[in-house]
Amino acid sequence: MPSSTAAARGTRPGPEAMASLTRHWAEAPSLRTWFGTVDHKRIGRRYLVTAAVFFGFAGASAVAMRTQLAGPEAGILSPREYNQLFTMHGTAMIFLFSTPMLFGFGNFLVPLMIGARDMAFPRLNAFGYWVFLFAGLFMWASVPAGAAPNGGWFAYVPLTDERNTPGLHLDVYTLGLLFLGISTTSGAVNFIVTALKLRAPGMSLNRVPVFVWAIVATSFMVLVALPVLNLDNALLFLDRRFDTRFFEPERGGNVLLWQHLFWIFGHPDVYIIVMPALGIVSAVLPVFCRRGIVGYPLIVFSIVAIAIISFGVWVHHMFATGLPQLSYGFFSAASTVITIPSGLQIFAWLATMLVGRIVVSVPFLFVVGFLVTFVVGGVTGVMFALTAFDQQTTDTYFVVAHFHYVLFGGAVFPILAGVYYWLPKMTGRMFSVRLGRWAFWLVFVGMNLTFFPMHVSGLLGMPRRVYTYPGGLGWDPWNLLATIGAYVVAAGLLLVAVGVVHALRRGAPAPDDPWGGDSLEWTTSSPPKPYNFPVIPRVHSLHPNWDPRTVESTGPGATEDRILAEGRTTLCTSELDGRYERPVEMPEETRKPLLAAVGLLMVFLGLLLAWYWVAAAGAALVIGTLAAWLWPPRRTPQEAGVAG
Amino acid sequence: MTPADLRTALRPAGLVTEQPVGRSTAWWGVMLFIATEGTVFAALLGSYFYLRFQHGVPWPPDGIAQPDLRLPLVMTAVLVPSSLPVAWAEAGIRRGRRWQVRAGLLATLVMGGTFLGLQGMEYHENLREYTVTTNVYGSLFYVITTFHGAHVTVGLFMVCWLLAAAGRGGVSARRPEPVRVVAYYWHFVDAVWVAILFTVYLSPRL
Amino acid sequence: MSERVSSRAALVGGLLLWFAVLGGALSWAVHSLAAWSIDELACEAGHDDLAGVPLVGAIALAVLLPAAGATAALVVSVLAWRRLRPEPREDGDRATGRAHLLAVVGLWLNLLALAMIVFGGVAALVLPPCQR
Ligand code: HEM
Repeated sequence: MPSSTAAARGTRPGPEAMASLTRHWAEAPSLRTWFGTVDHKRIGRRYLVTAAVFFGFAGASAVAMRTQLAGPEAGILSPREYNQLFTMHGTAMIFLFSTPMLFGFGNFLVPLMIGARDMAFPRLNAFGYWVFLFAGLFMWASVPAGAAPNGGWFAYVPLTDERNTPGLHLDVYTLGLLFLGISTTSGAVNFIVTALKLRAPGMSLNRVPVFVWAIVATSFMVLVALPVLNLDNALLFLDRRFDTRFFEPERGGNVLLWQHLFWIFGHPDVYIIVMPALGIVSAVLPVFCRRGIVGYPLIVFSIVAIAIISFGVWVHHMFATGLPQLSYGFFSAASTVITIPSGLQIFAWLATMLVGRIVVSVPFLFVVGFLVTFVVGGVTGVMFALTAFDQQTTDTYFVVAHFHYVLFGGAVFPILAGVYYWLPKMTGRMFSVRLGRWAFWLVFVGMNLTFFPMHVSGLLGMPRRVYTYPGGLGWDPWNLLATIGAYVVAAGLLLVAVGVVHALRRGAPAPDDPWGGDSLEWTTSSPPKPYNFPVIPRVHSLHPNWDPRTVESTGPGATEDRILAEGRTTLCTSELDGRYERPVEMPEETRKPLLAAVGLLMVFLGLLLAWYWVAAAGAALVIGTLAAWLWPPRRTPQEAGVAG
Repeated sequence: MTPADLRTALRPAGLVTEQPVGRSTAWWGVMLFIATEGTVFAALLGSYFYLRFQHGVPWPPDGIAQPDLRLPLVMTAVLVPSSLPVAWAEAGIRRGRRWQVRAGLLATLVMGGTFLGLQGMEYHENLREYTVTTNVYGSLFYVITTFHGAHVTVGLFMVCWLLAAAGRGGVSARRPEPVRVVAYYWHFVDAVWVAILFTVYLSPRL
Repeated sequence: MSERVSSRAALVGGLLLWFAVLGGALSWAVHSLAAWSIDELACEAGHDDLAGVPLVGAIALAVLLPAAGATAALVVSVLAWRRLRPEPREDGDRATGRAHLLAVVGLWLNLLALAMIVFGGVAALVLPPCQR
């Protein structure tokens, strides 16, 4: 065959190209690179492990609470300890576990699913991880110090102002969440830009995997919702520390401001937590039904719609505060309408299961667990929408039961499904199916045993956030059941951890595509090489791995402009249609993100302990590091193109 | 735009064109950053109005006088036009004229610095009458303006950084991105000031 | 795409598609913010007018104008959806599939937005503005 035709038709990268790719992307295993890595796969795994550890802490808090509540009048925890435990449990589950865990999946998966070699801003990504780690430690360290937040996870003023709660408790809360917010925000920016600009050529918006849509929509919600929470926390910190008067009625402030700002954030946050989890379901479920997801355009619509409408629902959390009824009228439309897109996704999954051939694997079991629990949570949610019922059950265990069905069902089950589904890709090892099935049944049964009885005790009038209760009100058996359930869940979750360690130690090597998945991460090796794809694919359909033409584009159809072996390079494409634009240079490993995060830690520790000079030094460190980090790389004069 | 244009635009060929198109990752990054920062300011100014209307009349409370407009208007006259030299510098980098970049940035630096100095003078005046702890009005006034002043300061740091980087040849016609990013940020800080001028200084008189 | 489109028409077409996708949602955002703040602020201050405009009239405006916006977006999205039929196995330079997806998403979004605005309008008809 004449060589010109071969060049025109393209060809696989040769051995030199592969060697060059490895040279530019691989990181020598050393302490330096461990602290300096910018590889999204390593960072993603770190997010997952760190968030899992924080989940463990929060779970241990829950088990301690349930032990205290097993019977009436128990004395294992004091009221002060109980307050700190439930607050840290709730705060950590929401802020330090759910979102970072799902961002961990996003970090690992988004570049792989869209056919890129890294995130758009790899160093920012590393920075985000370090900030998350430090913020989490900052908050958890307050528990052994006896200064943990104690005002509930939504920290209502005036309970949380300086007069009612002196001490560092709430300062840990406000500063910790502000600190963490930096990480979440930078992660969100990174996801959006990555998904907009680094998709493989040919991946127009109608070929973007649902999981990526979900992560991007979540990120947009984060960018709009989180600043409001940050502002709220900043104002509370100022009120507590520097005697400003934002929430102080005697000086013209208003306590309702806290609630408004908090729930402008808080309502979308429920979807910020659940949406990427639903994205995991949409990625896992169709693969085990052996067909593409039914109603892809409608699922995309539902994701976009939820992201937008969720902002209109915040007033619903304030039924007890006495706004004009008409004001509610404008927003209750949103609360009703938002159920339509949510329901749509469920029907799309059911339809996919109906028309597909189901394979009951471990990830699929967890998906089913999700569907069952989430639907129960939805039903009790509809019960809330009936206002009268809402006012009766506000602040009882019925609420606790409801939101655990939504959050455990909506976040934990999909996350566990994702853990089993992508474990082979992340570690290169298969897990033990038997352990996995045991884990599923323990978690599923335990979860229902824990939270179903809470509906009953709630209807019997048991208030939430009590450290103990008198016997003889009919609550005792339900509480005992819930406590037993909590231990069963804990056993199940431990078994998940055992399964992961077992896979790492003993697991059989994983093939590239153990499940017959459709998206691009299954086209590359398990675990992927540092550069992800030897050839950046050209995408021809929504299911690239099931589509021979896309597969060919990375084999015999490879072209030089998608191999890009000369340098550390990935591809920029256009936002909507994914048209080829140009190759872009990616940064190499660096420890500056870590240094900047340390600077931020100094800032927040300094503010917390009122060592303001430490805070100032930290700020100087951050500024200096950023200046050096962004310093433009040296160029040759021709490259610089200077005229004078 | 003619009706014919509209008709073509509504044909499939018009609807499927990808427009606007071709932004860089840096452009998207800074825009999203500005979007979330803008949300912070929107929430802050929204809180101003919320607290004000929940408070009722008189506003400002406790016998505090209406904000004096003279100094703020001078500050506006200094800060808002400072977007022009940045824009000029950005135009310069695209043609590779490094002197133009430097001159534009220097002018911005001077104007931004002047703004901060004037703000200091204003605080000096106001602090005699009320402080951040006096009442909710004082808290709002000082927190909003200080938060904005901090953004101006960050912007000035960025300008200094750019002056240093441009002096060393790291920024060029091929890599205009840093100048562009700083320019966007500076325009944003200016625009926020206009919103603050309206909220804090003008709206109490409405 | 073989058909040539002037760059201005192309820009207008691109922006129109964006309007078809997001116009309804934007209208709804304007509606709820405007109607809510008008209602709450006026009632809080104990007025039933807003700088001379009767409160009911102001609220009606805050319902009708956004409703008109959402309807316009709905019309454009239906037009786009009907004109952009993706062929199976399309490829190459044609982006009909992508534009069609956006049109479908916009169509449903606009419907929901319109429904929410109408709900708000009904609430305004039924409830006296300042009842608690
Ligand atoms: C591992 C199993 C879990 C158990 C046994 C458990 C148990 C509990 C208990 C006993 C409470 C305190 C109720 C009260 O005194 O009012 C609570 C509160 C809470 N839980 Fe869980 N939980 C679990 C998992 C989760 C998960 C996965 C999430 C979220 C993703 C979560 C979020 C919350 C929140 C937000 C609160 C409210 C805290 C507050 O009142 O401020 N929990 N949970």
